[in-house]
Amino acid sequence: MALVHKLLNGTYILRKCPKPGVASCPFLSTRFADYCSSSLEKPVAAPGKAPSQRKTEGNLEGHHQREVALDITSPEDKPEVSFDKAIKEEIKDHFRRLKDDIVNHWIGPEGRPLHEVLMEQAKVVWQFRGKEDLDKWIVTSDKTIGGRSEVFLKMGRNNQSALLYGTLSSEAPQDGESGRSGYCAMISKIPTGPFERKRFYDWSQFNTLYLRVRGDGRPWMVNIREDTDIIQRKDQMYSYFMFTRGGPYWQEVKIPFSKFFFSNRGRIRDAQYKLLLDKISSIGFTLADKVDGPFFLEIDFIGVFTDPAHTEEFAYENSPELNPRLFK
Amino acid sequence: MNPLISITLLMTLILSTMIVMISSHWLFAWIGLEMNMMAIIPIMMKKPSPRATEASTKYFLTQATASTLLMLAVILNLMHSGQWTIMKLFDPTASALMTMALAIKLGLSPFHFWVPEVTQGIPLTTGLILLTWQKIAPISILYQISPSINLHLMITMSFLSILIGGWGGLNQTQLRKIMAYSSIAHMGWMTSILLYNSTLTLLNLLIYIIMTFTMFMLLIQNTTTTTLLLSQTWNTTPVMTTFTMLTLLSMGGLPPLTGFMPKWMIIQELTKNDTLILPTLMAVTALLNLYFYMRLAYSTALTLFPSTNNMKMKWQFHPTKQMTLLPTAIVLSTMLLPLTPTYYILL
Repeated sequence: MALVHKLLNGTYILRKCPKPGVASCPFLSTRFADYCSSSLEKPVAAPGKAPSQRKTEGNLEGHHQREVALDITSPEDKPEVSFDKAIKEEIKDHFRRLKDDIVNHWIGPEGRPLHEVLMEQAKVVWQFRGKEDLDKWIVTSDKTIGGRSEVFLKMGRNNQSALLYGTLSSEAPQDGESGRSGYCAMISKIPTGPFERKRFYDWSQFNTLYLRVRGDGRPWMVNIREDTDIIQRKDQMYSYFMFTRGGPYWQEVKIPFSKFFFSNRGRIRDAQYKLLLDKISSIGFTLADKVDGPFFLEIDFIGVFTDPAHTEEFAYENSPELNPRLFK
Repeated sequence: MNPLISITLLMTLILSTMIVMISSHWLFAWIGLEMNMMAIIPIMMKKPSPRATEASTKYFLTQATASTLLMLAVILNLMHSGQWTIMKLFDPTASALMTMALAIKLGLSPFHFWVPEVTQGIPLTTGLILLTWQKIAPISILYQISPSINLHLMITMSFLSILIGGWGGLNQTQLRKIMAYSSIAHMGWMTSILLYNSTLTLLNLLIYIIMTFTMFMLLIQNTTTTTLLLSQTWNTTPVMTTFTMLTLLSMGGLPPLTGFMPKWMIIQELTKNDTLILPTLMAVTALLNLYFYMRLAYSTALTLFPSTNNMKMKWQFHPTKQMTLLPTAIVLSTMLLPLTPTYYILL
């Protein structure tokens, strides 16, 4: 499945003017945003809307002309689609990554010498300096369940930050079963190795998350997911809140990992567990504050560091009344 | 956990291994193995958390599969021999199946994938039980069926285990995963000599248990689970760093420490049997293991990693943890080499 996805995306390599979602929309899970990597905007894919996407494409083209785009080529150029070449490129790429993987394994953890990894006290994990950095993220909103929120992700000014913006609408979808709606999220893609093997981040020597953001005063939720081997764990995540201040100044948010609380299937559980940092899969930002209207969040970088003054291991207690199973 | 339940589980664990070791009926041995698996699962879940649940589930799935394969092999043997007595197997298919089932139980390559994941997800004490006590039952069955095991299958699995144990542990920073890969490599050494001189398998198992016990006790003492934490133990208990280094070098098989004894005996025995390439390759791949033990020893004892305080040593409080048998274990895991003739004859 992942290979089909890469294959279809692989055809983009040879296209001069990539069109978002034409080939991929009918095949892929529509929960993920569909985007054109050379465009400046990332619209959200709605279910079964291929024809209207072409219409929105036209709108996007119009949008591009308003915002100066330096790399959009002329629409007269016919895109070259070469299936075989794309497959060969993809296979070569995977074998190259496998070779790099083996060499990096010899050098040390994450391809760097061990002493460098052990001495590290701060690390920038995601930063937004170009379009390839945007490719590591997925944006999604309640459009996938029939809501009306919109969310877009683009590079900020001078390619120094990423801007997540859109409109939140808490109008419930008219499907007879959803009573509530109104969320937008930006989730990082799970890191993959050669042949799309799932990888994870090892942040066990750090204890605080560091974000440099500039928001509009809205409260966001930061969600961290651990690596899943067993199906149920896809529903589990650890969350905490990030309150943005608005204003022209950048805000440095430091959230210790001990503060993250555990939730399963969207519900905060009585039995709380510590976030274990040795197998982190992805991080996400969610906005669901029930306030309709536009929003934006500008992110410079996301990093992790060790705060030697922070010695708390876990901020929440389990009580014998709520979860006696833990105290037997 | 309720102390009564805790004691029941530990007793069941001990009893199950005893049952496997002393039984002469295949069904009884299989029952022992099942009891063993059932007893350790709640011990793994002592502190319930998503990670512990995942580790227990993975352990259960792999061990249950192995037990199923074992039962299949036993029934095939019954079909061919008409009896349930534990002795060499009469059918090559049954023998191959049983070898693979026991390889899954032990964590031999290519069935080793569960070992690092499960060891990482459980507390240090349970990890100690998993990597030491849980190896005794399958090795005792392998010892009993050793005349009928396919040589090529066993040698391939053991060499692959040594290689993967060395390669996989290379860039780990989590200590429990390092111990898991070390266990995979040691199981490789143990099973490589099984068909030539099974006494040496038992000797290797005994020495491996002593060394792993020592290592885990040292880790439990300081509650260290990552290399970084281990590298900061010089600040809290400097004496432990020396013992950690000695134990690590012993596990790597360096003379004049105890760990050299099984490796020396195994290489000697393999050479006596005119297999020269295999012990050479095994000795060379053991260097991978030694490399990451040396790296740990280097960061722990031979260098002073920067710590967050400016003191030479943290204030020594009275230790609250019990150092169960630690001094004895350290002596046994470092100073037993001169007694090699004794152990060789005893076993």
